[in-house]
Amino acid sequence: MKRLRYVSGALLALLWMAPLGAQQRTGTIRGRVSDDATRQPLSGAAVSVGSRGALTQADGRYVITGVPAGTDSVRARMIGYAPAAQAVTVVGGDTVVVDLALAARAVRLSEVVVVGYGEQRAGNITGAVTQVSSKDFNTGTIVSPQLLIENKVAGVQVVDNNEPGGGLSIRVRGQASVNAGSEPLYVVDGVPLGTGSGGGISTGRERDPLNFLNPGDIESITVLKDASAAAIYGANASNGVVLITTKSGLGRPRVEYSGSVSAASVTRLPSMLNAAQFRDAVHTYFPKNDSLLLNANTNWFDLVDRTAMGQRHDVVLSGAGTTNGYRLSLGYSNQDGILQGTTAERISLGVSYNQRLYNDHLDLRANLKGSRTFDRFTPNGVLYNAAQMGPTQPVYDSTSATGYANWAAGNPLTSADNPLEILNLATDHGTTYRSVGNVQAKYDFSSFQPLRGLTGTVNLGYDVTDVNRVTFYPNNIHFETKNGTDGSFYRTTPSQVNTVLETYLDYRPPLDLGPGTFDLTGGYSYSRSHAEWSSISAVQLESNLLADNGIPQTGIPPVPVDTVTESKLISFFGRAEYNIGDRYLASFSIRRDGSSRFGPGNLWGNFPAVSVGWRISREPFMSGASAISDLKLRASWGKTGNQAFGDYLQFSTYQGCNAKAQVQFGSQFVCPFRPSAVDPNIRWESTGTWDVGLDYGVLSGRFSGAIDWYTKHTDNLIFTVPVAAGSNLSNYVTTNIGTMKNTGFELDLSARLLDGGPGGLSWTAGFNAAHNTNELLSINPNAVAASQILVGDVAGGVGTKIQVLEPGQPINSFFVCQQQYQNGKPVEGKYVSLADTIASACDAASLRAYHDPAPHWMLGFSSSMAYRHFDLSFTLRAWLGNYVYNNIASNLGDYQELTRSAPYNLSTSVLQTGFVQPHYLSDYYVESGSFLRMDNVTVGYTFPWEGRQVRLFASAQSVFTITGYSGVDPTAGLNGIDNNIYPRSRILTSGLNVQF
Amino acid sequence: MNTSRWKALRTAAALLVLGTAGCTDPTVAPKSTVTGANFFDDPASYQTFLAKIYAGLALSGQAGPAGQPDISGIDEGFSQYLRLYWETEELPTDEAVIAWNDIGLPEMNTQTWTASSAMVVAMYYRIFFQVGMANEFLRQTTDDKLTARGVGSQLRAQIQQYRAEARFLRALSYWHGIDLFGSIPLVTENDAIGATAPKQSTRVDIFNYVVSELNAIKGQLPAPGAATYGRATGPAADMLLAELYLNDSVYTGTANWAGALTAAQAVIGSTYMLDPNYQHLFMADNNTSPEIIFAITQDGVHTQTYGGVTFLVHASVGGSMNARNYGIDGGWYGLRLKPEAYAFFGSGDGRASSFYTSGQSVVVDTIASFSRGIAAPKFTNRTSLGDSGSNRVFVDTDFPVFRLGEAYLIYAEAQLRGGGGSRAQALTYVNLLRERAYGSTSGDITDAELTLPFILAERGRELLWEAHRRTDLIRYGLFTGGAYLWAWKGEDPHGTNSAGIATASTRDLYPLPANELIANPNLTQNPGY
Repeated sequence: MKRLRYVSGALLALLWMAPLGAQQRTGTIRGRVSDDATRQPLSGAAVSVGSRGALTQADGRYVITGVPAGTDSVRARMIGYAPAAQAVTVVGGDTVVVDLALAARAVRLSEVVVVGYGEQRAGNITGAVTQVSSKDFNTGTIVSPQLLIENKVAGVQVVDNNEPGGGLSIRVRGQASVNAGSEPLYVVDGVPLGTGSGGGISTGRERDPLNFLNPGDIESITVLKDASAAAIYGANASNGVVLITTKSGLGRPRVEYSGSVSAASVTRLPSMLNAAQFRDAVHTYFPKNDSLLLNANTNWFDLVDRTAMGQRHDVVLSGAGTTNGYRLSLGYSNQDGILQGTTAERISLGVSYNQRLYNDHLDLRANLKGSRTFDRFTPNGVLYNAAQMGPTQPVYDSTSATGYANWAAGNPLTSADNPLEILNLATDHGTTYRSVGNVQAKYDFSSFQPLRGLTGTVNLGYDVTDVNRVTFYPNNIHFETKNGTDGSFYRTTPSQVNTVLETYLDYRPPLDLGPGTFDLTGGYSYSRSHAEWSSISAVQLESNLLADNGIPQTGIPPVPVDTVTESKLISFFGRAEYNIGDRYLASFSIRRDGSSRFGPGNLWGNFPAVSVGWRISREPFMSGASAISDLKLRASWGKTGNQAFGDYLQFSTYQGCNAKAQVQFGSQFVCPFRPSAVDPNIRWESTGTWDVGLDYGVLSGRFSGAIDWYTKHTDNLIFTVPVAAGSNLSNYVTTNIGTMKNTGFELDLSARLLDGGPGGLSWTAGFNAAHNTNELLSINPNAVAASQILVGDVAGGVGTKIQVLEPGQPINSFFVCQQQYQNGKPVEGKYVSLADTIASACDAASLRAYHDPAPHWMLGFSSSMAYRHFDLSFTLRAWLGNYVYNNIASNLGDYQELTRSAPYNLSTSVLQTGFVQPHYLSDYYVESGSFLRMDNVTVGYTFPWEGRQVRLFASAQSVFTITGYSGVDPTAGLNGIDNNIYPRSRILTSGLNVQF
Repeated sequence: MNTSRWKALRTAAALLVLGTAGCTDPTVAPKSTVTGANFFDDPASYQTFLAKIYAGLALSGQAGPAGQPDISGIDEGFSQYLRLYWETEELPTDEAVIAWNDIGLPEMNTQTWTASSAMVVAMYYRIFFQVGMANEFLRQTTDDKLTARGVGSQLRAQIQQYRAEARFLRALSYWHGIDLFGSIPLVTENDAIGATAPKQSTRVDIFNYVVSELNAIKGQLPAPGAATYGRATGPAADMLLAELYLNDSVYTGTANWAGALTAAQAVIGSTYMLDPNYQHLFMADNNTSPEIIFAITQDGVHTQTYGGVTFLVHASVGGSMNARNYGIDGGWYGLRLKPEAYAFFGSGDGRASSFYTSGQSVVVDTIASFSRGIAAPKFTNRTSLGDSGSNRVFVDTDFPVFRLGEAYLIYAEAQLRGGGGSRAQALTYVNLLRERAYGSTSGDITDAELTLPFILAERGRELLWEAHRRTDLIRYGLFTGGAYLWAWKGEDPHGTNSAGIATASTRDLYPLPANELIANPNLTQNPGY
């Protein structure tokens, strides 16, 4: 507290004194910036001298006033170009002309990269940081921003659930937590969003909370992969940090329209028996059910999927004056899913304004992004019933209450439902309003001589989300009547407000200290989250008249839920960088986080990081090696935390009872309250990361990239484990106890293979490869029996779990028995035990950890070619070593399913296995999910039309997938369990982009 | 430069910066969850918290009949305190056998448990769950805390009584703890939660602690009466003292028969009376029995569990028995008598009148078959008026932990062993029980017949299946070893040999759970495990 007052006092004092400095003699610099190859003017290039700067106008011209007299250098930079500098001597009152030519380059080392609380030249970065700018983004029909960089960053796994705008997960360098979150921290324009997937709440896990951001508004996405880069975000940084920078206004005023239409179709569906095969199977294995079969020939999946249309329209107004810039964007996107009933619609608004004041000493920026997304979901039950429903059964039955046919006889509780009945009569939809915005003021104190090199920044941000989701199942559909639910209605309306205040000072002493220069940053951050969770659920609806608009009379009273959760994170952070002649680089950062989720004894955590870099290419002895344009060796260590777990774990909660758990006090019954076992010292999971990397560029940057090796050791993993009896309030407690390790390496290569200049053929390509090995080291050092925890619920058998957490194995390894084979066919009920004998049961004697869902290798290749007006690009992706449990094949892969009172349809896997009994835990169903996929092909044609630039393009996504996996999609979600997952879409998109 | 603009800017900046300076406290109190921070804002909370300690004996969790269990790592129905305690006290003896093959259960029938047997492990954690609840209640109700919360004098007096009850319940579980496991940790309200693994204490130290606790609280406990039914009263504390002194020679190596006799006498001198109807003690309306000193209460509507007396009533029914005759929806085909227990009873002894022999054999040659062994549906969900309980699944029948009948037998045994008192009085007490059992004086014994072996046999008859047998046999030196063999003693529960063999004397104690030895490195395992 005391120290903070001191810091704030100092900041105040500095603000006060600042104007005094603006009195000295100054001059003006003006000039023009152009492309050194085409000689065309470059609009929007940033030109700076000392601490003053300007952006070039449409004609490439700029003016910088108020330049202090003396010798300095003028620097110009623009994304996609190598920066240029020229020395200049300014005499007070004079105007000097400096023209600069920039060379277009793909060399990443020269780009300016956004980092936590600042930006750095890529060449001087000593951590593992990858920035993808908008020109390198994935194209086509993309709803969720994260998909823009899918496949583009080595070591970053993006897994979506195949729905338009569907919920997705990102793993940066493998999974580093079991029971806390594993999603990276998202920071939008300096505003850190909350923890959890997409940094917010959504209508449900089927949609990505980050959908509020229109991908067209994003300028760049930077991934901070190693601890030295991420540690400045402290207790939220263990899973990596994704910095999203949105576009701001540049250059002459202009209006830009881009729009596209798309059509999507199903790539692959589960392979089920057709009507004839089903009839044969029933007749052979359970003829008693013959009489139930009707004469239809229904392909249920054909009836629930469709060719899905989509459209997208973005209008952007943007421009910049000498002291301000603005950008206004309006977006509309509407994408249907390939399953009927799925739609993701978004209306988004983006406003960005920046204003420089007081001789450019004060830079004010305001960003506001807001959207309304309206999502329709294919009701739960459609997909799995499309698999289970008998293909011999008709769709309609004019005699039934709903007009849809269902199984006539037998115990209805275990019979499949008509998926069309659910699809057409049930509804499930949600509306989400979310807005994230910030106002940032950055003051440059350099006009006051003693404070030259000092800037102060205050950033105020907010993140507001309001969700309303409604699900309605009428009381007369088979899905509801068979189990006595008799109609259900559920409305959930969570809302969340996060506020963030960050203030920091950056100081670059104008004089060298020792042989090098310093860059010091220090600051304070406060963020607070308030969420309200309200929902109401009702079953046994007396009437369907109100549908999804309200709750009629119900058989049992509706159940409301209403809770409030709040959290707070308060932080102090600092960073010192030292640079000796751009040759020797060192950086030290520390963050001190106090979180409401930490127990009283561990309220504050420290997260330090150090890194060093050596730009070998700058050494005199390298001057002869002209082929090597850049070479930098870097090494780092850092500690980061993960606090993506529930609120209030440090408090013992007193839980009340239900009406059947009271105790008798005389003649009265009392509801007992029970305090829960608690670890009052609960705290962050902690990851220590070592990273060694090499950044390189050869042949004037024609080939460039990075190679990294890392090892991450995570300890204090949160598990619920047995504790010493008597030491707590129950025999299990949730505490920080486990450890895990991720080790891997990454390779990044960008190449300008052909550089034909304007009109010629140019070709750039990028390749990345990443290998990661995950190992759970311990769950509970204090227990033997609790050293295996079963996870991974699957369909088939109540409580069946298919994966295991076991020390020495990768997280979520499949836990199965080795199937015995004879003549290449699996033998019914026979397994190879751990002792290598043949076992007739899949039990502890045979169960073993066997492969895991995470890819061991992830490879990405992007190619982009341009010739005259044409451009052609494509991306390829491969995962190797990932395994998938084909749950449809295992759950519906045995003839016993036909003996139900109403038989289930079977997976065609049964034709290969001939299994009569279920073999849920057989390794037969754990299949290699390795694949090669062409994610995207895009062809574009750019031409001038009446002085305007017009681009037409067409693209195809998920063009082909080569895989040995027999199920729906080998990228089947993060957990590798393919259980009625949403099928993947092949999307064809065409569109245009016009600038006025 | 426009100075007013500067002023505005400075003001804005100052506000921002000052706003920052105010916030260096990251703690957030929960709002919509009940935690220790707000729980005691409601004066009723003291009673509801105390109720939890009682509930720990009667229920398995916060949602009846199952859901939100108190302890983890075992099926919730199996984890219920009374069910576990009953199994540890009855199944390894000559009285009972259970058919089921659930993990950890078969070996309870035959004294062949291991340090990982589920029932042994769960019993240990159940005991410490009770201790943990009681300790936390005591921590939360210290004078300092009550003063800080501004608790008024009337509530404060009430809380003092609650504190005494919490201490009684803790003493009860510590008694179970030293009786079953020997030397275990002694954790009290003076130990902080979650700090460190507790140190192992000794059986003697805990015995002394429990005795001193009971003597300290005896006067503060509520008085007996209908209003305090189900709660700990002064005579309940005396009864627990009597049990402790009766087994003092086992627990500490030094007998204290006089203490047992005095404590039993104190109970006998209080307001309880023998229930004229022996069967009524085990019926759905046994809450009206004048004999029960301390009961674990059950209720078909309000207090539902798959353990407790619901387990005893259902598990005792099977074979050709009509479940409706016992007020339940169906039998669970589990519990029968071992042949030795069936042989306790002479003809005319009404205490055997509930036994069901049709289709049941006397011999138990297969543990897993319900028809092998006489069924003993002593506990029933029918009332003394012949009605069924309020619920056919969950019974209304309370479990009599302490009742006056046992006080008579403790008096008699302590007298015979040299604890003072009068031999004539002892004979009178025993014959009072016999007369109730036989409905006349026909079953009375003579002075010559009043011997220690008779007392053990009489305890077997009077207190059959009331969770005393293991402790009694140990006190008589017969539980382990070869002096007294009964069916299945020491045998393989899955085998076919039911003759019974000598067992190691180390089986007088249960092992500390294997997991617990790792979780708590301070512990030393009992010998023989």
